Amino acid sequence: MTAPAEPTCPSCGAAVAAGARFCESCGTPLSAGAAAPAAGATAPAAPASPAAPPVEDAAPISAPTRRPAGALPDPPPDPGRRPCDACGGEVGPDLYCTQCGAKAPSERDHFRERPASWVAGVCDKGVGKSRNEDAMALLAGAEPGSRAVLVVLDGVSSSVDSDVASLNGARAAREVLRMPLPAGMGTPGSREAAVRKVLTDATAAAQAAIVATTDPDSPNPASATFTVAVLEGTLVHHANLGDSRCYWLPDDGPGVQLTVDDSMAQAQIAAGVAKEVAEQGRAAHAITRWLGRDSEDPTPAVGIVEVTGPGWLLACSDGLWNYASTPEALQEQVRAAGTTDPAELALRLVGFANAAGGHDNITAALARVEGPGHNAATPAATAGEEG
Amino acid sequence: MAEFTTAVYQNEFLPDGGTDVNAIVTITCAGAGTAGQGGSGDAGEIIIVDTSGSMGPATMAAAKDAAQAALAEIVDGTWFAVVAGADRAMLAYPMVSSGPAMVRMDTTTRTEASAAINRFVGSGGTAISTWLDLAGQVFASVPQVTQRHALLLTDGENRERPGQLDAAINRATGYYQCDCRGAGTDWQVAEIRRIAQALLGTVDIIPRPDQMRQQFQEIMRTAMARGVADAKLRVWTPQGAQVLFVRQVAPTLEDLTDRRTAVNPLTGDYPTGAWADESRDYHVAVRVAAKAIGQEQLAARVQLAIGDDVVTQGLVKATWSGNSELTARIDQQVAHYTGQTELAAMIQEGLAAKAAGDEATATTKLGRAVQLAAQTGNGEATTKLRKVVDVESEADGTVRLKRTVDKADEMALDTASTKTTRVRKDPAPGS
Repeated sequence: MTAPAEPTCPSCGAAVAAGARFCESCGTPLSAGAAAPAAGATAPAAPASPAAPPVEDAAPISAPTRRPAGALPDPPPDPGRRPCDACGGEVGPDLYCTQCGAKAPSERDHFRERPASWVAGVCDKGVGKSRNEDAMALLAGAEPGSRAVLVVLDGVSSSVDSDVASLNGARAAREVLRMPLPAGMGTPGSREAAVRKVLTDATAAAQAAIVATTDPDSPNPASATFTVAVLEGTLVHHANLGDSRCYWLPDDGPGVQLTVDDSMAQAQIAAGVAKEVAEQGRAAHAITRWLGRDSEDPTPAVGIVEVTGPGWLLACSDGLWNYASTPEALQEQVRAAGTTDPAELALRLVGFANAAGGHDNITAALARVEGPGHNAATPAATAGEEG
Repeated sequence: MAEFTTAVYQNEFLPDGGTDVNAIVTITCAGAGTAGQGGSGDAGEIIIVDTSGSMGPATMAAAKDAAQAALAEIVDGTWFAVVAGADRAMLAYPMVSSGPAMVRMDTTTRTEASAAINRFVGSGGTAISTWLDLAGQVFASVPQVTQRHALLLTDGENRERPGQLDAAINRATGYYQCDCRGAGTDWQVAEIRRIAQALLGTVDIIPRPDQMRQQFQEIMRTAMARGVADAKLRVWTPQGAQVLFVRQVAPTLEDLTDRRTAVNPLTGDYPTGAWADESRDYHVAVRVAAKAIGQEQLAARVQLAIGDDVVTQGLVKATWSGNSELTARIDQQVAHYTGQTELAAMIQEGLAAKAAGDEATATTKLGRAVQLAAQTGNGEATTKLRKVVDVESEADGTVRLKRTVDKADEMALDTASTKTTRVRKDPAPGS
């Protein structure tokens, strides 16, 4: 439904059947998620991506015609094809390395975002999966520690078009969170209520985008988990539905899992089963709440926490935390990476999950928070921004 | 403008540690137009007729008639010439001794050429190398002719020092294409097949003079329908991979492996000559380094290139899998053409053994050929084999050599050995 009347392959231009997953001529994957970044890269002036219609629907009717100064811009477009992972050779338009023939992931199967030097994320198919149904959408102010939005969705693989739905949902939620959260309210209570409203709106926008992507007659409607973390100064607001998670991982001292899963495992933990046992159970990954047409209650659980740097704010899918569920285990991986560059750390965490098996799609979105008075960009982060 | 399409048939799944990737790549051309009218240079045709003393009156009369028929098929405006071949080659038409040795076809030149053919008289020996060399010189005298095709008729064995013919074939290879026909049974199939294979043409026997006219007509008609000059099969393989072989497997079998010219370290071109509206199948086999289960890679990119333009491409892939149901399957197309390739080898080796008096080997090889022809549904090969051997069991491949065999039947089996049959491309589910 997001495809034009007569779809053509973005790579070779051959006509393709509506709904085709691959180009018959050149084999390029054709999911709307893969086509969107390519279209954006060639024509940045035209923001008519497939994600746009649901966003428009969800945006307030009285939207400003010009973005106010506080609105965060979209991250720069992914530079596109990266050199071959296996040999460093150039990757051809058919996504195979022109030197060693290794298959490069499509834009949908592996993408990166870096809205600012201190915020970055990697969304990866995972070696054991055939497609990437995870999605992420990030925003950040240029000044480190100012304001960051990390949205992560995990499409449910038993449903149709979850990859398209999750990406559309992530971008729709990002659209709602582009403006700073409400501030200057009379009481902390009234502010909290206003923030809860914004986070609920963001969730509703994601829900609308996912439902809009779904074929109304599909017996397996697209569905996804939803987690978002919004950092403003020292405050982190988070919202969650399903089993993607937000963590606060300080450089020193104990880390904390900010969100609570909506999963069978969590229900068992609440009933007294040990966390380690519950998360290894057969039904551990069955989620009890989600976004999608068949969602019973798309209202997120929200929370707020004050953080003191230095440390990392992490939003991730279960493809990562399956291999490091506790904050301590994640902190160990962060320390092993030994970097303050969020893009590098995101890659390291994804690499860690892939090395451990990569049985699910992996998303890791990170914001680096320096301590009070240390908010200037670190040299490593500034150097990394060029790439 | 001609349009090309490609389809790849393969089982891309390799078992753990598997290295060899086989694929049948079908390339189809549509809208080829007419030779020499595609705007990329003119077409040239040379008719080469054996006028040695061995040509009997009936054969000579038929050859003249056939040459006239071929002449009639050449489209107006096409450059052409007629060569008479004996122990040396003579330019029969146009009758010039310097300058361009070809003329454009029109009413006048057609009549003049026809008269020249009617003056053919048989005398002298057979030195085919001189015929090939003269044809090359004639083509070279008209530089705007870029699509070069010759039709060669002979009735006798080449009478030259060993090596002379091969040297001439080498000089002509890559310069012009040549379809070859042998009249009667006094010529050597292996010898003429060498010419046809090197010069990207066909070879066949014309057992009786009265069949000659139709054959010439068909050859020339096909040649004139080739509106796409000189296309190359371009094969890219990844670093460290080895091309095991590249064969054309339909409509005829031609091993192109040794005819590679490097484009760059990873890419090679194989000649395919001119194209009409037709479909050709290529069997490409590549050996790659094994990767871990779940990994996918490109094993070959098979393209058709005209000049520097790639007009179509197909991707040959390799995916390593732990699922033996996926990896054990052999693609139907690959299996079919592997069988047809062995069939051709068995026929040629069997007939060679028979000629050398090694009846045991001949019986075994031709028996296997009967079995393969049945298995791969090659009806023409089966029919021709049955004229040379008595079949006891097609399924087991047990045969007896016939005591008396018509020489022409044996030669027809030999020349037809490289003709392949196609198998249906869309197997019914579950078959």
